[in-house]
Amino acid sequence: MSTRHSSRAWIYGYIAVCVVMLALPLFVSDGYLLNKFARYIIFGILSLALCLSWGYAGILNLGQAVSFGLGSYCMAMALKLRTIPIQTGGGVPDFMSWNNVKTLPWFWEPFHSYAFAIFAGMAVPAILAFLLGWFVFRARVTGVYVAIITLAMLVVVNLLIIDAQSYTGGFNGITDLTTLKLFGIAFDAYSKATYYLAAFSLIAALLIGLAIIKSKTGLVMQAIRDDEMRVRYFGYDVAHYQNFAFCVSAAIAGFAGMLYTLVMEFASPTFLNVSISLSIVIWCAVGGRASLLGAALGAIVVTGVQGSLSDSPKFLDTWMLIMGALFIAVVLFLPKGLVSLIDIFEQRFRKQAAGGGGPLTPTALPAAAPAASELRQDEVG
Amino acid sequence: MADTINQLSTGLSIASILLLVSLGLAIIYGTMGVINLAHGDFLMLGAYSVWFLQTYFGISLIPGLVLVFLMVGAVGWLVEKTIIRHLYARPLDTILATWGIGILLEQSVRLGAGAELRYVQMPPSLTSAVHILGTDQSTYRIFIFVLTVLLLLATYGLIFKTSFGMRLRAVTQNPEIAKCFGVNASQVYSLTFAYGAGLAGIAGALISPLKSVSPDMGIGFVVDAFMVVVMGGVESLLGTVVSSGLLGELSGGIAYLTNDTLAKAVVFTGIVILIRFRPQGLFAVRMRRG
Repeated sequence: MSTRHSSRAWIYGYIAVCVVMLALPLFVSDGYLLNKFARYIIFGILSLALCLSWGYAGILNLGQAVSFGLGSYCMAMALKLRTIPIQTGGGVPDFMSWNNVKTLPWFWEPFHSYAFAIFAGMAVPAILAFLLGWFVFRARVTGVYVAIITLAMLVVVNLLIIDAQSYTGGFNGITDLTTLKLFGIAFDAYSKATYYLAAFSLIAALLIGLAIIKSKTGLVMQAIRDDEMRVRYFGYDVAHYQNFAFCVSAAIAGFAGMLYTLVMEFASPTFLNVSISLSIVIWCAVGGRASLLGAALGAIVVTGVQGSLSDSPKFLDTWMLIMGALFIAVVLFLPKGLVSLIDIFEQRFRKQAAGGGGPLTPTALPAAAPAASELRQDEVG
Repeated sequence: MADTINQLSTGLSIASILLLVSLGLAIIYGTMGVINLAHGDFLMLGAYSVWFLQTYFGISLIPGLVLVFLMVGAVGWLVEKTIIRHLYARPLDTILATWGIGILLEQSVRLGAGAELRYVQMPPSLTSAVHILGTDQSTYRIFIFVLTVLLLLATYGLIFKTSFGMRLRAVTQNPEIAKCFGVNASQVYSLTFAYGAGLAGIAGALISPLKSVSPDMGIGFVVDAFMVVVMGGVESLLGTVVSSGLLGELSGGIAYLTNDTLAKAVVFTGIVILIRFRPQGLFAVRMRRG
């Protein structure tokens, strides 16, 4: 969250990121690179979604990939249905006929409509989140237990999708999709159109996120993060706000999942496995869970650096090792992520400008206060 | 009749493995309030240690157990000394840190021992089956069951009958006052963490002949173990024992009627619903202080 003295820097940051993102295709025309960048941006959206629930409402969702994966499957189902006439000539998608499914299952039917699929891509994760949230938050379960339960849900949903092979394609996922065509634009995975779609989605997600955290609801969410009991004593329905943050976060992640299907041209159970969920948490923590932009940048920078170094499996293993170490270091020393370095440097700079070594200047105080409250909220009472 | 006994014994076998895996987790959480997501990776480390000892030194599983306990315990001790101890004031962050530690362990093993599946041989003396009440039961599973009971008793004795256990209980109840009475709290924490990690190592070692050993084998177990802990509460060993038994029999039964995946889903849904209506009965007091 931005403090008063640095809020202008944050606004510049937001504008700079948006401009760079939108200007990029002017300099890059290689479809393969654009596809890569679109992927990073989508991870940015995903990380931002987690930031909204974790950084601003204190709900550490270790199963964020469930929403991402479900969104991805919704889009893939819609795109798969359009291939029936070409690939199998009628009835059901190819993988279903391999599994001896003769008629299209009822829950596939509505996906003939793109409008429904896009709605479902956000609604299905949100509804699932709502149900889980209703049980969990109403029972006043918080903190570590929410983390464990969301992680368990991730494992269970992943197993279920793999298990229901005849309806979901099992391990292989849903492949060989058609290209999405909306409003006369074809969103080919390697096209500028898809890149812009991802970029504008990130901008939209940032704006929606900002609108939420600047609203009264957002303030209550942050208050719950800092001291749940106190907010309850003020008469707010804490579970209601927690569930709101949880669902919005799930819907945004679901949307990111839909985009990911467009970019990757398939949906797979690996989109909702533990390692993706883990990566999301790492991006968010490394970038800065206390800032939407920080979280998004965390994802973009981490995956960007990873992608530009190498794609070999051996390297990926080493990279993951480095990420693990970086993650631990950030958790230990910089709980608010790398973005907080900016605040720290700015504070130091201001202190020096104000005559060095002297008592804290009033402008520096607000920056110190959130850091202290951040620590306090995590203490065992 | 034989069917029912088979069913019960399958459930019991699942339950003993569950208990084996969750015991270390519950102790670490109960004493230190640390949710150890690296627990599954300690388990994986135990399995790899057995494989390593068997392949390179020809030490078979049962004599290797002590070595495995010491090796994995040492890793746990090191982890506590270097990382965990800085996070006692921030429980939510210990989840993150231990997850990071899990990645470190998993990737180190993957780079060091390779990502391919490894297989551990069952001790030859335990490969046969025993005839009980008209059914054939695997000797190895009975061995696991007996060893689990022994470990449970040992843990109980350690906590309630030794002077270390007394210090441990004192630190759990009130670290500040325990320190005033001269208890070295930081040493108690390190040893407890090491003990919990060592237990996970033994669990991994015992599971290794039943499942293939791979760097990412831990996560499934850790989730199951957490379900046990979430359901049973962590303040008492009894809660862990009862809920492992219940979940084991339940998973075994549902899996018999449908399949493993659905059993997992049903158990998970059941726990979520249970939480809604009886959070105070299932969870420890700790939860409400969060």
